[in-house]
Amino acid sequence: MGNRINFVLVVLLLGGFALAQVDVRLWHMEQPPHRVDRVQELIDAFNAANPDIEVVQEVQNWGDVIPKALSAVRARVQPDILFAIPDFTLTMKATGAVQPVTELANNLHQQHGFLDAAIDPYSYQDEVWAVPLYGMVQSLWYRKDVLAEAGIEPPTTWEELLAAAEALTTEDRYGIGIPGSKSLYADQVIYNFMITAGAKTIFNDDGSIRFDTPETVRAFQYYHDLFQFSPPDSVSWIWGDAEAAFASGRVPMIIQFTTITTFDQQTEDLPANLGVVPIPAPAELGERGNIYYSNGAMVLTGDPAKKAAAEKFLAYLLEPDNYGRFLNMEPALFLPVTADGQEAESFWNDPLVVEYEDQVRTMVDNSAYGALFGFTTGQVFDGIGPISAQNLLSQVVQRVLVDGDSPEDAVTWGQAQMEAATR
Amino acid sequence: MRWRTSFLAYLLLAPLLIWLAVTIAVPVGYLVYLSFTDMGIFGTSATFSGLENFKDVLRSERFWQAGRNTLVWIVGNGLAQVTLAFAVARLLYRRSALTNFLQVWIILPWVVPGVAAVIIWRWMLSSIGIVNFGLEATRLVDSPVSFFAKPSIAMATTIAINSWRWFPLLAVILLAALRNIPSELREAAMVDGATENQTWWYIVLPLLRPVLYVLGLLGTLWSANIFDVIWLLTKGGPSGGTTTLPVYLYEEAFARFSLGTSAAGSVVMAVFVLGFVMLFLRYGWGRELGGRR
Repeated sequence: MGNRINFVLVVLLLGGFALAQVDVRLWHMEQPPHRVDRVQELIDAFNAANPDIEVVQEVQNWGDVIPKALSAVRARVQPDILFAIPDFTLTMKATGAVQPVTELANNLHQQHGFLDAAIDPYSYQDEVWAVPLYGMVQSLWYRKDVLAEAGIEPPTTWEELLAAAEALTTEDRYGIGIPGSKSLYADQVIYNFMITAGAKTIFNDDGSIRFDTPETVRAFQYYHDLFQFSPPDSVSWIWGDAEAAFASGRVPMIIQFTTITTFDQQTEDLPANLGVVPIPAPAELGERGNIYYSNGAMVLTGDPAKKAAAEKFLAYLLEPDNYGRFLNMEPALFLPVTADGQEAESFWNDPLVVEYEDQVRTMVDNSAYGALFGFTTGQVFDGIGPISAQNLLSQVVQRVLVDGDSPEDAVTWGQAQMEAATR
Repeated sequence: MRWRTSFLAYLLLAPLLIWLAVTIAVPVGYLVYLSFTDMGIFGTSATFSGLENFKDVLRSERFWQAGRNTLVWIVGNGLAQVTLAFAVARLLYRRSALTNFLQVWIILPWVVPGVAAVIIWRWMLSSIGIVNFGLEATRLVDSPVSFFAKPSIAMATTIAINSWRWFPLLAVILLAALRNIPSELREAAMVDGATENQTWWYIVLPLLRPVLYVLGLLGTLWSANIFDVIWLLTKGGPSGGTTTLPVYLYEEAFARFSLGTSAAGSVVMAVFVLGFVMLFLRYGWGRELGGRR
């Protein structure tokens, strides 16, 4: 009899436990196996410490996550947490599924101190719509030995960069590699030059487009001039192509988020031979700046228990002891978005980060000068979603590089396209 | 008794027929409904907008450019794949240990997942890839060829990669059809003095026509709907040079966030494709198979 009662109690307890457990589905787009493994390690540790919560990761692809996520919301099977970049958040917000995380973000800001460039793109309409998790910043990467051999100092101005690219171009080598493709990569690289030319803001305060400006034209003219010293096939480059060309020695300078891993794994060079400097600016302007992406996490569940569990998991990721391990799912690419994260031992003690500490410190330093097109004025307009999704910046690049349009005509075309996109 | 048997047959078939009707009719019906609304982002609210989306589509230069690109894409793929498939089928026609081995392995490109095939080709065709290495090593070119730099070259390259992927399937089908042609017919022609080429041209090819017509119809429909290879290789660029109708429709829905326009474009494309199928069946298939003209 006693055994039966015990058995019933155990069943009831287990049943109650199962009923009390909150499942949290996490969608992220960090597909490489080592990143998936690192996220799983963190999830396992979180689940073990929180028996009432079961976080499960479901890996997605950046290439098709927009239609997939929209369809999931429509079918009411959306994940509880969805990783995002700012314009994707705006698109998802239109479905009504994105929950504000203002209170959580404020608490986390008090504890860890978010960088402005990281939190601002998610803060509008009096709410915060995603928790920033990791930053990515572009810089100018170069091979020190190649520049030294040519007697060239690392460029700090547009003029120096153009002269260096020309001087470094030989029969077997192109001076620099910059993309001319219709791609997010080309959007990002041209935007670096727009920032430094003084054209980082593409929206007026009233939401109208201010793309067709002399500063923007200047940036595209410069890009055209610089592209002469880039490999012809860079008109179809995506991120990996630039890194491959850099690692192969075919181009000694590229603009990229990072090239540390590729450089470390695919070349025999010592870390000391890899140089990185901020994006050069026109000499007379000297406006330091670069594109900066703050990747964040949206909460898509309205269920209070799931929302609380999702927020608990996000807060766990940002704890300094865990945060470095999270960021180092891809060492020397993902940068801290919090002040204490920038000091976290768990971030700086990764072997690759230790080896390339100087380069990573430059990247972290560049984060403070980051900007993202459409998110620069504190006001966010819906039009940035289609502008970004259509790769309109790189389409303008293609009109200059492929179709032979003048920068003036191409930028005027871009203005018209952006106006159409925001209607 | 016969009535009962028929009833039972229909009864047993009913679940499948209902399932097919629902899985086809519901999505198509929803698509047509969307084409008359102003829905932007999928899943957001929408209102009835009449024929506005259709007017927008038919006035859009991008739509017609995509239509022209689609025609080039279909014709280019058709010619490349049929030529390659026929050549390979002819090579493999004679049985030997080597052809038996090859006819298994020839299907490999079709088995490789599309994404993997595209990534491999991108590497091989890049400026530091094996293709350019070979071209430069043999001094056929002085500097690396940019296979995706110009719209026309990008289209030709994309067609070549897609044809590489699909022609083995066609080759295997053609080979099966070839082997079904009684050898007596070819032998009789040879006895009458026909050369090898004449035999193929006047005997074999006419007998293959039914298969070629089926492949022509299905191949056109398959080609018209291909999206993944183009999107992964060029994203429709450079400068819209490889934007076919599926790419245009995807961009309308998920880059321009104009789902209603995308749905209207899909309906217009479906009408064009249906028109092609009807013409094909009436003037191609029907005549070939002795059907009603």
